[in-house]
Order: sequence, then C-alpha cells, then structure tokens
Amino acid sequence: MSSATPSPPRVTLLRSVAMVWRTLRSMRTALVLLLLLALGSVAGSLVPQVGTSDARIAAMFRDHPLRARIYNQLGLFDVFGSWWFTLITALLLVSLVACLVPRTRALVRNLRTRPQPARELESMRHYAERRVAVEPDRALAGARRVLRRRMYRVGASNGSGPPSLAADKGLAREAGSLLFHWSFFLILVGIIWGKGTGFSGQATIVEGQTWTEAHANYDGQIHEGRFFDEDHTGVRIHVDSFTATYRIPSGIPEDFVTHAELYDPSGRYVKTVDIRVNHPAEIDGVKFYQFGYGWAPVIDVRKDGKLVASGPVVCQQGPPPPGVSPLQLPWECAVKLPSLRPQVGIQLRLWPDSRALYALLSAGKAMPMLTEYAPVMTYTAYLGDLRADRPQSISRIDTSAMRPWTRGVIGAGQTVSLGRGLTISFPDLRQYTVLEVKRDRGLWIELLAAILILVGLLPALYTSRRKVWVTAEPDGSGAVLKVGGFALQRRPQFEQEFARLVDELVRSSGANEGSKERVHAG
Amino acid sequence: MSVEEWSRVSTDAFNVALFAYVAAMLGYFYHLAFRRQVVWRISSLTAYVGLFAHVVSVVARGIAAGRVPWGNMYEYSSLLSLLVVAAYLVVVEGIYRLRTLGGFALAFSVLTMAIAVEFLYVGPGPLVPALNSYWIKIHVVAAIAGSSLFALGSIVTILYLVKDRLERASAPPPIMGGSVGLEEAPPHFEAGSDEPAAVATDRRGILPSAAVLDRVAYRTIAFAFPIWTFAIIAGAIWAENAWGRYWGWDPKETWSFITWVIFAGYLHARATSGWKGHRAAVIALVGFVSLLITYYAVNLWIVGLHSYAGVS
Repeated sequence: MSSATPSPPRVTLLRSVAMVWRTLRSMRTALVLLLLLALGSVAGSLVPQVGTSDARIAAMFRDHPLRARIYNQLGLFDVFGSWWFTLITALLLVSLVACLVPRTRALVRNLRTRPQPARELESMRHYAERRVAVEPDRALAGARRVLRRRMYRVGASNGSGPPSLAADKGLAREAGSLLFHWSFFLILVGIIWGKGTGFSGQATIVEGQTWTEAHANYDGQIHEGRFFDEDHTGVRIHVDSFTATYRIPSGIPEDFVTHAELYDPSGRYVKTVDIRVNHPAEIDGVKFYQFGYGWAPVIDVRKDGKLVASGPVVCQQGPPPPGVSPLQLPWECAVKLPSLRPQVGIQLRLWPDSRALYALLSAGKAMPMLTEYAPVMTYTAYLGDLRADRPQSISRIDTSAMRPWTRGVIGAGQTVSLGRGLTISFPDLRQYTVLEVKRDRGLWIELLAAILILVGLLPALYTSRRKVWVTAEPDGSGAVLKVGGFALQRRPQFEQEFARLVDELVRSSGANEGSKERVHAG
Repeated sequence: MSVEEWSRVSTDAFNVALFAYVAAMLGYFYHLAFRRQVVWRISSLTAYVGLFAHVVSVVARGIAAGRVPWGNMYEYSSLLSLLVVAAYLVVVEGIYRLRTLGGFALAFSVLTMAIAVEFLYVGPGPLVPALNSYWIKIHVVAAIAGSSLFALGSIVTILYLVKDRLERASAPPPIMGGSVGLEEAPPHFEAGSDEPAAVATDRRGILPSAAVLDRVAYRTIAFAFPIWTFAIIAGAIWAENAWGRYWGWDPKETWSFITWVIFAGYLHARATSGWKGHRAAVIALVGFVSLLITYYAVNLWIVGLHSYAGVS
C-alpha cells in the first residue's frame, strides 16, 4: 500500500464518455457498424416482413409457433423498424458526426491557410533540379503561372532565403468526401420532415364517382405524420372511367389507366389526367398513383316495387389458391339490407366474363377473364341478423347469425325476384380504381441530398491530393530550380505527372541549360 | 424484316458471341500458361468479334421487341456479360495493358450467358406496365453497368488474393523476426496511402504482381461505386413514380442497399490501417456474393415487387 506506486487512472464518467467517443470516432468502428447494417438488412430480406408478407408470417406462427415467437421477440418480422436496426443506424450517424466534425474543421482551416513552405526538398520522394537561364524571380513567376494553370493553389514565398513557393491541389477530394457524408443527414432531415408532415392512404373510386381528399374518405389504413395537423387538402378527383388492357390470350398486362378530372378544394376544375402505373397525377402537392382496380356491379334492390338499395357495389378478390391466377377467380361482393325485418344479406359472386363460368361448369377448366363479356353473377341470399355490431367486411356477409334463404343466377340487364316481395336488378357493370394518395413534402430535400451525394462522391474518389514546392536559387546569370513533390493518393501516376510538371516549369522560365534530376524511391 | 426474323438474328448473333467468347477464353488461358504472344493476339481479336456479334444480338433483340433490350432477366444477363467483356477490353487490356486476365473475365461472361440462355430465356415481347417507363433506360443501364464493373473488379480481386498468397509464400521472412506482422502491413503498401506505392514490375509467375492486381481491382470498384449509387437513386426516383414511395425495403432494394453498404465498407477499409490489402479484398468478395444474390436470387427465389422482372 505504498503511495509511491502510481495508481491507475480512476474510471470517471467523463473518462468513460471520452473513451466511448474515441471509439465511435475510429474508422474501425464505422466499418464494423456498416457491416452490421448490411447483416441486419440480410435478415430483413430473408425473414418475411410485416406489411409485405403478412400471410407468410401468419403461416409461420401456425406451423412453427416457438420459432415465430422468438423471431417476433427479436423484431425479425419488422427488421427495419426494430430497436436494434434503429440503434445501429443511430450509432453509425453518431460515429459519422464524431468523424466529420473534426474533419470539416480541419478542411476549413486548410482552406483558410495558404500552402506551407517546406525545407529540404532534396530529401523528398519526388525531386528534380534544373538550371534555367533567367534570374530566380522571373523563374519563380513562371512557375507560379504554370502551377496556377494546373489548378494548384500557390502560397506566398518564404520571407528568408532564396525565393520559393509552395503549392497544393486536391482539397476537392476531402471536400467531396465531407459533402458525400454530410448529405446523409440531409436525407434524414428530408425523411423526418416529409413523413412527419405528410400522409398516405388508398382511395377506392367507382367509375362516375367523385372522391374528396379527407380523413374519412380513405379506405383501410391511412398513415398520417407525427407533425401532421389534420390539414387534409380537400382536393377532389372525379373518375370518368378505368381501363385495364391485357394481351389476349396470354393475359400479360399491358396497360392500366384511370381517366379522371382533378378539382381544387373549392370545386373549380383544374385538369384532366390519365393516371397510369409510372404516371401519377398531382394537384396541390397531393399525388395519385395507380394502385389497383376491381369490378363494381350496379345493383338495385326493390321491396314491393320501392327502391331500398341502389348503386355500384365494390367487389373484391380473396388470395388465389396456389397455381390459380387472380384473373381466373370470380369477384366477391355483398349487398346488406339492415333496414328489412328480418335483415337480408345477399352474397354475390361476379364473373365479368361469363364464358369463364361456363367453361368451369362444363369442362372444369379455369379461364382468365381479360375483358368484360356478358357478365353474370351467382347469388345466395340469407335471412337473419347481419351482426352490424361487429367489424364488417365490405365484400363478405357475416352469416354466423343468418340462415340461407335462396340462390340463383342473374345476368347483366336482368331483374330477378327473390320472393317476399324483393327483386334485384343488375343494370350495369362498372369498374373501380384503387389509387394510392400521398403527400410528401420532403421529396425535394431527398432529391437534393441524392444529387449532393453523387456530386461529392466523384471528387472524393477520383481527385488526388498533391503538394509541390519550388525554390529558385541564383546561379551565375541564371538560376537553379529545385522542385519537390508529394502525393497522398495515386502515387504511381504522380511519377509521370511530376516529370511533366518539371518539364513545363523549365520551359516556362526560358531556355534549359543542362539538368540534374533525382527521383527518390521511398 | 419481321419480328421473328429479328428475333432469330438476335439468337444467332448471341450464339456466335458465346462461341467466340469460349474460344477467346481458352486462348487467353493458353496464353496465360505458355506466354505465346500470337495466341493472345488471336484471342483478343476473337473477343472483339464476339463483342461485335453480341452488340448485334442486343440491338436485334431491341428491334424485335420494339423497346429497350433490357426488360427481363435473359436480357439483363446478356447485357451484363456484354459490358463485362467490353469493360475488360477497354479497362484491363486498353488502359492497364494487362494481357493475362482475359480468361477470367470471359469465363464470367460465358457462365452468365450460358445460365441466361439455358434457364432464363423468354421470347421478345412488350413490357409489363410497371416496367414501362423511361426510367428503365436510366436505372437498369446504370445497374447493369455498375454490376459489370463490380464483377470485373471482384474477378481481379480474386486473382489478387491468389497472387498475394503466392508472393508471400515465396517472400523471404522479415529480418527483424516476428515483431512485424505481415497481416498488419502488406509489403507493397505505404502508411497513409489507400493504394500500393509502386508498381512492382514482377514478371515472375503467370499473373501480374499483387500490387498491380490490387490497384486495378480498386480502380474498377471505385469506378463502379458511383454508378451503383446512381442506379439506386434512379431506382428510388422510379419507385416514387411507380409505387408512390421511393424506398420500401423490397428485397431487390434491400439487397442493392446491402451490396452498396459492403462496397462502401470496402472503400473505407482501404483507408483503414490493418484492413487494407487482404482484409479489404475479402470484403470486396463478400460484396461480389451480395451482388450475385441481388442479381439472381432476388429475382428467382425471393418474392417481391421486382419479381416481374424475372423469367415469367
């Protein structure tokens, strides 16, 4: 217990923080974090993810409950939203700041100061000595011009000793690298601002209908940003018609297009647009993207001759069984009549091309329905309680409290009597379009950042830092030019670059009278 | 000429290119082993003939389909191998004047073409709506150009690792004993530099020196990286237009990001002491594997929005 032995430095909070900071700053840490980021992404692409492969996740919970639970605990079903992926990204960004701040400071310092003079040019890796016929000052002035023309920054000459100058170039390399790295923070700003103040959701619009951009009018999920203060725009879109074109008979899709008119919130007509895949329409910063489509038969239901329900009914498709194309599947729709006693529900199955139904019934053959052709619906009517208190599907009837009543077939243009004074008619078949509706004000920031990333990357990878010093010592009537050079990157190239530079320096200062040249290695 | 005739011209020219590449590959390997200048000359000429036929094949395919000739996996593969050969002839033979690496570059192209014609072939046809955008001209070309250069760089990296091993095996042991770890400081690197110092004109052995191979690999990958970055950005802009979001962690997006991250790691590793040389090269190879997964596995086995770009 001698007090003479130096005690090890105490672990204080400050020291630990300093140590963590130093670790974060090192390139090694950044490298490891980058590779961890890649590894996490690999997991995200191999394990089914929430939102894109929900069915596969459900299947996994059913078939391998233990594994699914472990995966779920580890956040593997939502890798890109998991705490550990966020942590890696955050650490990488912190490490980036820790590295970029001192580098940016150094660059600014470097840009402010002129290139510094050096001594002992003779011992430099690249060195040449040439005699020229002009006096030192003129030789140096020539050198200055040459270096400037070659994009070097030229510093002032030394006060003492023979006239000399220092020059360097390639600061764009560091500047580009810094621009590249800082731009990632700009992307982050764009994401936070864009997603935070934006919204996105889906709109289902039947041909002939008008849809207003407002919270209540979206179907299913709508994502609204954290800083979004309910300023839905109220712009309107009127869908004239929708066309889906397939190649016949292969069924390869050719074109999906929504013909629509856009109106501003006051109802003033703005423009007519064709919304296609790859060709969204925009009004007031709100974009409409072609997302999907479906069929919507117009159905009128009369009770004792009085209309009780009328209008287009949106039909949907379930997931097709393996090996079956969605084009071969009929469409499910539901007509619900809660005002009748007992309540009536009619489950419909629409075949837009009736030939497909007949092919299935007569030959058991599945046929793709590529166009509308004498559409026909089969129906099953139920009596009982529609269970309106439970969450409802728009295309299915909850038959848990109902009993089957009657069934049959109805073609386009027909009217069929169900009994109990009820008739249904099928005057028209329309289509509906599903549009993705979105506002993201951060897009231009992200685009700018992307451009800056590329702009920064090019000098960061392809320019090189070089330093050159020239001294002109008086020698009789002329001078001896001493040139030293130093390259931080692409050293093999600098070998020739330096030789050419020396030649040009000599040429610019008049006649060359013999030369001595040495190029050191190492 | 009719669509069928153009289609046949494309297929015939493809076969001519494939045979020319195989012949050139064998010639290059023969030259590598026995150093017969005349064999190299013939091989190089044959590779150029193949390249010409390949260009004819791709152009004819475009005319037959009435659109850009890169709309499905078969066409991507054909264009990718074309660009690998072109990049080899221009960069490695043209700029770096290395004549011994042709067999390896052509082997990659031959393999890619063989897989394309054997497993991925589909007849020319119009694009599905999702692909029908002018961004296909920009995004896909950048992606294929970046891939071809990454592939070329990775092939040279493999040769670097082989040669590096051979050179170390024959190098004399360090004079000061074990205090200097060879792993820590590869002999041809200087402190603070991101590339080898001098081009050692090592004419022993059948490959160029490790320093030269390393430099060529680095330059090729550094050339590919901004192109790949641009391809990802162009893809994001296209996705924003087509699907209403610029990034959605779709498998193709995820894997192109993984590839980008790994090659970014490679570029950083070369500037990190203790990682340059051998370890950086290994990272580049991991990047190459990731590139192949991005290219093949995602289209063929992993379900996602880019699946339509596959073979059906």
